[in-house]
Amino acid sequence: MSTVMKIENLEAKIGDKKILKGLNLELEAGKVHAIMGPNGAGKSTLSKTIVGHYDVEVLGGDITYKGKSIVDMDAEERALEGIFLSFQHPVEIPGVNNAYFLRTALNAKRKHEGKEALNAAEFLRLMKSHLEMLGMKSDMISRSLNEGFSGGEKKRNEILQMLILEPEVIILDEIDSGLDIDALRAVSEGINKMKDGKRTFLVITHYSRILDYIEPDYIHVLKDGKVIKTAGPELVAQLEEHGYDAIEEE
Amino acid sequence: MNLITLKNKNAEEVATLLGIKERNLLVEKFAALGLPNKKTEEYHYFDVEKLLDVDYKTLNYVPKSIEEGDKVEIVDGVVTKAPKGMRVYSEPCETIDMDHFDALYYLGHLLSPHIIRIEVDGDCHVEILHKYTQSETLINYRIVISNQANRHTTMYENFEAEDIHDTLVLYGYDMHIAQDSTLRMVRLQTMNDNKYSMITSHKVNVAKNANVLLKNFDFGGDQALQVLKVELGERAHVDAGHLLYLNDDSKRGTASQIIHRGEHSTSKQEAKNILDGQARGIFDALIRVEHSAKFTKAEQNSKSILLHEKSYMASKPQLEIYIDELEASHGSTTGQLDEKQLFYLQSRGISYIEARKILVIAFANTLIEQVKDSRHQDRIKAAFEEVFYVANKG
Ligand SMILES: Nc1ncnc2c1ncn2[C@@H]1O[C@H](COP(=O)(O)OP(=O)(O)OP(=O)(O)O)[C@@H](O)[C@H]1O
Ligand SMILES: [Mg+2]
Repeated sequence: MSTVMKIENLEAKIGDKKILKGLNLELEAGKVHAIMGPNGAGKSTLSKTIVGHYDVEVLGGDITYKGKSIVDMDAEERALEGIFLSFQHPVEIPGVNNAYFLRTALNAKRKHEGKEALNAAEFLRLMKSHLEMLGMKSDMISRSLNEGFSGGEKKRNEILQMLILEPEVIILDEIDSGLDIDALRAVSEGINKMKDGKRTFLVITHYSRILDYIEPDYIHVLKDGKVIKTAGPELVAQLEEHGYDAIEEE
Repeated sequence: MNLITLKNKNAEEVATLLGIKERNLLVEKFAALGLPNKKTEEYHYFDVEKLLDVDYKTLNYVPKSIEEGDKVEIVDGVVTKAPKGMRVYSEPCETIDMDHFDALYYLGHLLSPHIIRIEVDGDCHVEILHKYTQSETLINYRIVISNQANRHTTMYENFEAEDIHDTLVLYGYDMHIAQDSTLRMVRLQTMNDNKYSMITSHKVNVAKNANVLLKNFDFGGDQALQVLKVELGERAHVDAGHLLYLNDDSKRGTASQIIHRGEHSTSKQEAKNILDGQARGIFDALIRVEHSAKFTKAEQNSKSILLHEKSYMASKPQLEIYIDELEASHGSTTGQLDEKQLFYLQSRGISYIEARKILVIAFANTLIEQVKDSRHQDRIKAAFEEVFYVANKG
């Protein structure tokens, strides 16, 4: 197995509150890892820590990505290197055109990779091809970034960004919450389209339904700032039946 | 001429200093208000005395024969061009507001007994270009604009300066917006080096059912203050606002009074301020609702982004209300760029500098997009991006 990201003894706080308390997690390249755990366990904090969110202060431990420590890297650098987080609560940015934003992001990445920038027409073609698959209306191109988007539209827009930026490690923080059945199917389809045996997924969820669509390879249980159990997909049914309290720390 | 010599002088002395015999009422109004200084409310945040206390050269304003052009062009206070068929001429001013709060409004009229009168006729778009060519000079002129009932006009005001320095421009409008008409005035200033300072003092009368829109896009350097008084008749409406983008040590902004006189009159005033360097932005804006103005709606808002720890926004939205039957709101916020928004952009691989640009431009665009004509909207957007990019290389 080849490890793309390794998290060791990670301790982190937000404000005065220590949230991650010696967390260990290894992500195997090309696999789908699901993280489940009770509210407030630290799942979003973990994802924020991986992408370098300003709220989080790392107190100890390390995160290595492709063999290099990333804890001191800027958020933009991590993104350019291929780490992507679909936010639990994407922020609204009035006045910033969605297509313009996405093209700027894509061209920043292309520049980083030594590729030529896409012009507006080329980009629009690319964006439109994805919009249709995600069942997104074409006015999403010209609207302000997430402004006034419904919960489902915001989540689809996160997936759109993922499809366009083609990251290597993809963290999806509750991508499924608040989605109706059609949206869940569209979003899952988008995710499955990105599965190519090389990209790695970290799917944070409370529900097994999305896991029916995207078939995880590993389930990790995160509780009180630590990963307390790692198992195969069969663990989902057990969790559904008995809850998190029944899980013993390994 | 050094205008500071008019400080603390009585009407008689002012008249003598300005070499004026008649027009006594104006002299008295000016002397009663006194030359503005730091303690004058509307000049409190503006170094007015420093600008007045300079020995400026003065000009003779001899009307020229007006060439035909695609816009009204005013060079150093004298009209040189005007569109075919438009009535632009010089005449003594007959309608001066005898209750203006600004001493420089009166000084402007005293120094310019002949005004430039522009009669806008019909539904049209008019551009006014102000050009300045003289250094170390006091350039002083007044403009009267009137339109006709039921007509809808848009005016674009632009500025150009030759390679000049240390000039003070004092000008202003007396506008008479006729019943049931609309007048939109969109002003753009982009000059970004210290060529001239400017104090403009306006008076806008908005007749029954008329609409006026006054938008000032000010991306200039050095010092400029627009002093504005608007009076609203019955069911009259004003939408006033400015977008400031200031850098270095410039000080610019608006000091205004919007007065609701007529019933059902409405006002909206929105200021957006982006301040960098040691710049100071000014929004000192009073909305007064008089006894006669029942069922008024007044809305006032100022939002500022400070991009530098030394930049400063003097934001003072104020409501003065003498009746109960009205809807009014006002607010003022000042802060940095939104961290969450910045982070969202950065988390997609956009650099901090680029993310900052995107957010600042977005903040500005919400006001710029109120200019409905797309060519002019694009022109203002481009002007903003140009000054902003020059200041934020990287
Ligand atoms: N900005 C913050 N300030 C203070 N406390 C915070 C902040 N963000 C998170 N926390 C706290 O940290 C703990 C972990 O939060 P986190 O969002 O990581 O949980 P989660 O596992 O994602 O929960 P959920 O399933 O509800 O999304 C919670 O107790 C939360 O209140
Ligand atoms: Mg969470």
